[in-house]
Amino acid sequence: MIRTAGQLIALHGLLEDRLAETLRSLAQLHPEAAGVLTRLADESIQHRDMILKVYREGVTDAFEVGYLSRPMDEDGYTVAEPKGSLGEALRTALVNEDTVIRFCRDAAEDSNQLIPGLPQTFLRLAKRKERRKAALESLA
Amino acid sequence: MNVVTCLVVLDEPIKGVLEVKNYIDGEWVESGSEKYREAVNPATMKPLAKVPMGCVEDVEAAVDAAKEAFPAWRRTTPLTRARYFFRLKELLEESFETVSRVCTMEHGKTIDESRGEVRRGIENVEVATGIPSLMMGYNLEDISTGIDEAVIKQPLGVFACIAPFNFPFMVPLWFMPIAVATGNTYLIKPSPWTPLSMVKLMELVDEAGFPPGVINMVHGDAEPVQAILEHPGVKGVSFVGSSKIGRDVIYREAASRGKRVQAQCSAKNFLVVMPDADVESTVPGLLSSFFGNAGQRCLAGANLVMVGDDEKFIDGFLGKIKKATQGIRIGYGLEEGVQMGPLQAVPRKQRVLGYIERGVEEGAKLVLDGRKFDSGAYPRDCFLGPSIFHDVQPDMTIAREEIFGPVMSVLHAGDLGEAIEMMNASNYGNSASIFTGSGKAARRFQYEVECGNVGVNIGTVAPMAFFPFSGMKDSFFGDLHGQGRDAVDFFTERKVVIQRWP
Repeated sequence: MIRTAGQLIALHGLLEDRLAETLRSLAQLHPEAAGVLTRLADESIQHRDMILKVYREGVTDAFEVGYLSRPMDEDGYTVAEPKGSLGEALRTALVNEDTVIRFCRDAAEDSNQLIPGLPQTFLRLAKRKERRKAALESLA
Repeated sequence: MNVVTCLVVLDEPIKGVLEVKNYIDGEWVESGSEKYREAVNPATMKPLAKVPMGCVEDVEAAVDAAKEAFPAWRRTTPLTRARYFFRLKELLEESFETVSRVCTMEHGKTIDESRGEVRRGIENVEVATGIPSLMMGYNLEDISTGIDEAVIKQPLGVFACIAPFNFPFMVPLWFMPIAVATGNTYLIKPSPWTPLSMVKLMELVDEAGFPPGVINMVHGDAEPVQAILEHPGVKGVSFVGSSKIGRDVIYREAASRGKRVQAQCSAKNFLVVMPDADVESTVPGLLSSFFGNAGQRCLAGANLVMVGDDEKFIDGFLGKIKKATQGIRIGYGLEEGVQMGPLQAVPRKQRVLGYIERGVEEGAKLVLDGRKFDSGAYPRDCFLGPSIFHDVQPDMTIAREEIFGPVMSVLHAGDLGEAIEMMNASNYGNSASIFTGSGKAARRFQYEVECGNVGVNIGTVAPMAFFPFSGMKDSFFGDLHGQGRDAVDFFTERKVVIQRWP
């Protein structure tokens, strides 16, 4: 279970890293879509860093910022390896995006009052990731 | 892939055993002392560093360097001095994670707590970058015909900080940035138990390019402390530690020699829960306050006072506290997700164990026994689970003395007046909090309680860098506190100039 702010941020980082990794390997397998996929992979890393920055600037020993309002179950967030044809792989990539969007929304809710700016940034990322789905769908 | 399987122990930035040196006049130098202590990671009990115990000669060399650096440094413009701190802030941001992990390794606190500590240290550096504004004096034209009067703030010379083990990174930064930004030069003496966070800071100070002698560090224990207190070249001392040392040694010795002193000391903090408190938000606040940093902070909750006679509310509330406390995950702080680390050293655990035994002997009811905690793969030496005592009476030892560990003592008061009376009878006056939905009760609490930092629906009343860290009674000796405007005044002389040009 995810109980602390540090754990939450670490899990988000891992999800974004994993997302970027899967998109990059997909780009290698499908050069015709490489431009969009590489851009999305880079964006995932930016998203990871955005959250990390907000966390590091907001975490404090003062007040009660260490614990989540309710623990999150990490098993609910899995990024799968896209396989098969481009169409099949993109379907998996879209599911991955949905997973990370769900994580961002859940994290925003459960980190409410945890660290200033953190819930808002998670929500902002969730919104941005919706646009990524459109970009992935356009490749199909 | 289940990504969480990757959430294991974070990489340790300290490999092997470091040979710790002093930082004097911009150089890393060996201590003149032949006595050493081993700094140990309290979670793994692996040695981290060999720390010199320091000597008079170390302090003399550091103060000489600081005195020599002072004239040029005070003539350096405030804007230029501020820019050194902008550079230091940038370097601290780059090293944020490394410094946090070092802090966890030497202290035992969780990585989240260390990151929080490092952030609060950086915030003090940020405040110091505003010194051109903070240091301004004030003036008035024509106090009499053609005569003007002004107050200018000037640095005094060499200041020193004697730091505690419990916040090895943050506490020196309560003082040093404002002291140095106002034009003084500085000597830091870290705790010999936790010297490595300061070693990291000095590496960054060096990299930021502060002129030699402006910021110095001497390691050690009692001998260098005494040398700092006696040295005529040291104009003032900032101290954080126990009331006994703060009052009987630091304040007495330094003040009798005409030095400025700010000694922030022990505490016994009361947290009062009114029957109208919001239970859902109060419980996590209390957990963090009582058990954060394994109870080793001067702002930690110690006594929980349940007010009123609504047994259903009180029993339900205390039941939730106990259940939530049992859910706290204890372990090595470098594991993300651990919520409480070990105590910092074996003697600190022994001290807490002594208090738990005393509480049982004196008749308090131990409803959660932290001694039964199983540390699993880690050595038991410093680990201790959280303990909760019920039916604690105000005259019991565990209700009066600072335990400095993860122990909650639950007391009862018939009404708010009785709770305030109980608090005000304490020798200490560091912090106190009330949890209530009533503005009237909160105002009365704030008005009547005799302590420096007051919380309303806040468990850990930690003043931000731009406010003073207050404290009263045996929790503070001196006049001006650390941080905020108090700090600017502590580190400067307010010189009055009256002038007429006929």
